[in-house]
Amino acid sequence: MAPRVGSERYGMTAQLLFSGVVFGLSLASIYFLISIGLSLCFGLMRIISLDQLLYYTVGAYITYSISTLTGNLWVGVLGGIAVGALLALAVERLVFKRIYERELTFSMITSFGILLGGIGVVKALWGVVPRPVRMPLDEQMNLFGTDIPLYRLSVIVVAALVYAGIWLFLNRTIIGKAIRAGIEDMEHVEGLGINAARLFTITFVLAGALSALAGGIYAPLIMVDPHMGLEILAFVFMVVIIGGLGSIKGTLYSSLLVGQVVSLGSLIYAPLAVMAPFAMMLLILLVKPTGLFGTPLSK
Amino acid sequence: MLNSLHWWRGILITFTALWLAKFVLPLPFMNEVLVFSIYTIGCNFLLGRVGFISFGQPAYLAVGAYATAFYLFYFGTNPYIGLLIGLVAGLVFAFIVGLLFVRLRSDYFALVNLALSVIVFYMLQKVLADITKGDNGLWFLTNIDATPVFNLTKPSEFFLFCIFVGAAVWALYKYLDDTVFGACCLATKINETKLEFIGYDNFKIRLTAFVIANTTTAFAGSLYAIYLGFVSPEMTGHSRTADPVVVTILGGVGSLWGPIVGTLAYTGLRDVASKFIGNWELIVGFILVFIMMTNSVGLYGTLENWSKSLWRRVSGQKGTA
Repeated sequence: MAPRVGSERYGMTAQLLFSGVVFGLSLASIYFLISIGLSLCFGLMRIISLDQLLYYTVGAYITYSISTLTGNLWVGVLGGIAVGALLALAVERLVFKRIYERELTFSMITSFGILLGGIGVVKALWGVVPRPVRMPLDEQMNLFGTDIPLYRLSVIVVAALVYAGIWLFLNRTIIGKAIRAGIEDMEHVEGLGINAARLFTITFVLAGALSALAGGIYAPLIMVDPHMGLEILAFVFMVVIIGGLGSIKGTLYSSLLVGQVVSLGSLIYAPLAVMAPFAMMLLILLVKPTGLFGTPLSK
Repeated sequence: MLNSLHWWRGILITFTALWLAKFVLPLPFMNEVLVFSIYTIGCNFLLGRVGFISFGQPAYLAVGAYATAFYLFYFGTNPYIGLLIGLVAGLVFAFIVGLLFVRLRSDYFALVNLALSVIVFYMLQKVLADITKGDNGLWFLTNIDATPVFNLTKPSEFFLFCIFVGAAVWALYKYLDDTVFGACCLATKINETKLEFIGYDNFKIRLTAFVIANTTTAFAGSLYAIYLGFVSPEMTGHSRTADPVVVTILGGVGSLWGPIVGTLAYTGLRDVASKFIGNWELIVGFILVFIMMTNSVGLYGTLENWSKSLWRRVSGQKGTA
C-alpha cells in the first residue's frame, strides 16, 4: 500500500513541478519581451526608458478594447502593438529626441513622469476598475501526463518566435548590425555614415512595440488594470539588473532564470515568489556589480 | 561659523515664517508640510549633492515608521523613545543597504532602489502580515503617552516640535554643505576619478552620504507614525514612490530650501487639485515632464533668480540715481 501512495505522491509532485516550469516559462516570456526593450534602449541610447511599462499597459488595454469588440484576441494584440509603437514614436519625437545627450538620471526622471502621466490618461480613458480579457484557447493540452493550458504554451511560442525574429534582425539586417555595433561604440557607427537619429527612433519604436506585445498577450492571464505596469516593474528591473543593462543575451538568460525562480519559488512557499529573485539579484550584484553579462562601460 | 548670526539667519527666517504660516494655513496642512519636507531633504541631498537618483525613498520612510510603530504598538508608550528607535532602525537599515548599493553605478543604483521599495511594500503587506497586520495597518494613537515638554499627541505641540526638529535638520544639512565632506560629496558626483586621485575614498564618502540622507528619511517616517498614530503599507505603495523625487525636482535640485518650497507647492496643489480631479498621477507626471523638458531650476531656483534680478535692478537704480 505504502509504495503506491508514495509513487502517486511522486507523480503529483512531478506534475506540479512540470506545470510550474511551464508557468515559469510563460512568465519569462513576458519579462523578456519588456526587458529586451529596456536593455536595447540602454545599450544604444544610454537612457533608462521606464515608459516601456506604459506601452505595456496601453498594449493590454487596446487588446482588451479590440478583443471585446471583435471577439478575437489576436486582432486586439496586433492593434495593441500598432498603438504602442505609434505612442512610442510620438514620445520619442516629442521628448526623448531632446534628452539623449543628457545624463542618465535625466532620462529616468522624465520617463517616470511619462509613465505616471500615461497611467493617469489610462485611468481617465478606461477607469480604475480591473478588466478581464477572455482567453481565446481555453483548452488544456496533455503533455507528459500533465494538463497545461494551451494559451500559456502559445505565449511561450510567441516569445520564442519574437526572440528568433530579433536575432535575425540583429544579425542578418544592416540596421540590426548597426544597432549591435552602436551598442559597442556609437561614435564609430556614426563615422561610417549611419544616421544615428534614425537608428535611435527604430530601436525605441521596436522596444515600445515589444512591450505592447507583452501587454497584449499577457492580458488574458491577468486582469488588465491601470497599475499593471507598476506591478511588473520590479520584476522587469530584476531581470535587467541580473542580466546586465545593455546585454541582449543576458536579458534572455536572466528572464528565464527569474521566471523559473518566481514560479518554482511560489510552489515551495508563496512569499518566495517576490523575495527569492530579489535575494538572487542582491547576491549577483555583490559578486558582479554590473550584472551577469553587463559590461563596465559608463557614460 | 556656527556661532555667527549670519550663518543661522536663513534657517531662523524660514522656520519663523513657517511658524507664522500656522495662523493663515490649517494646522494639519502645516504638519504635513514639515514632515514631508524633512522626508524630501534626504532625496534632495542624494540627488543634488551625490548624484544618486533614488526612487526607493519610501522604503526607508517605511523602515523608520514601522520601527516606531512596532515599539508603540507592542512594547511602550513614550513617543520620544519611539522616535529614537525609528532613527536607530533607519541608521542600521541604511548602513546595511548602503554597503550593498553604494558600490553600484548610478543607473543600477536607481533601479535597485525602486526594486527595494517594492520588496519592502510586499514584505509589510504580505510576508510580515502577522506582525504588521497587513493592509489594515497598525493603529496605536491611544497608546501614545502625553509627555511633559512637547505633548506630541496634540497637533499644535507636535507642530512646534517639528519646527525645532526641522530647524535642526536644516542646520545639519547647511553645516554639511560647508564642510570638507560636503565638498567631497559634490566632487564624487562630478569627477570621482579625480577625487580618488587626491586621496579620498569614494566609497566611504558615498556610504556616509547615503546613511545620513536615508536616516533623515527614516526619521521623517517616525514623525509620520507618531503624528498620524497609525502606519500602513500604503505609504510605500505604487503611487507614492515618486513623491520625494517630484518634490525635489519641483523645489529645485540641490538647493537647501528647495524641499520646503517644493513641499509647500506640492502638498498645496495636491490638496486643492484632489477636490476637482481624482486623477493625481496625471498631474504629477505632467509636472515632472514639464520641469525636465523646460530645463527649469525648480521653484526655489526660479524665485532666487527673480529676487536676484529684482535686487540688481533696485540696487542698480540706486547706483545711477
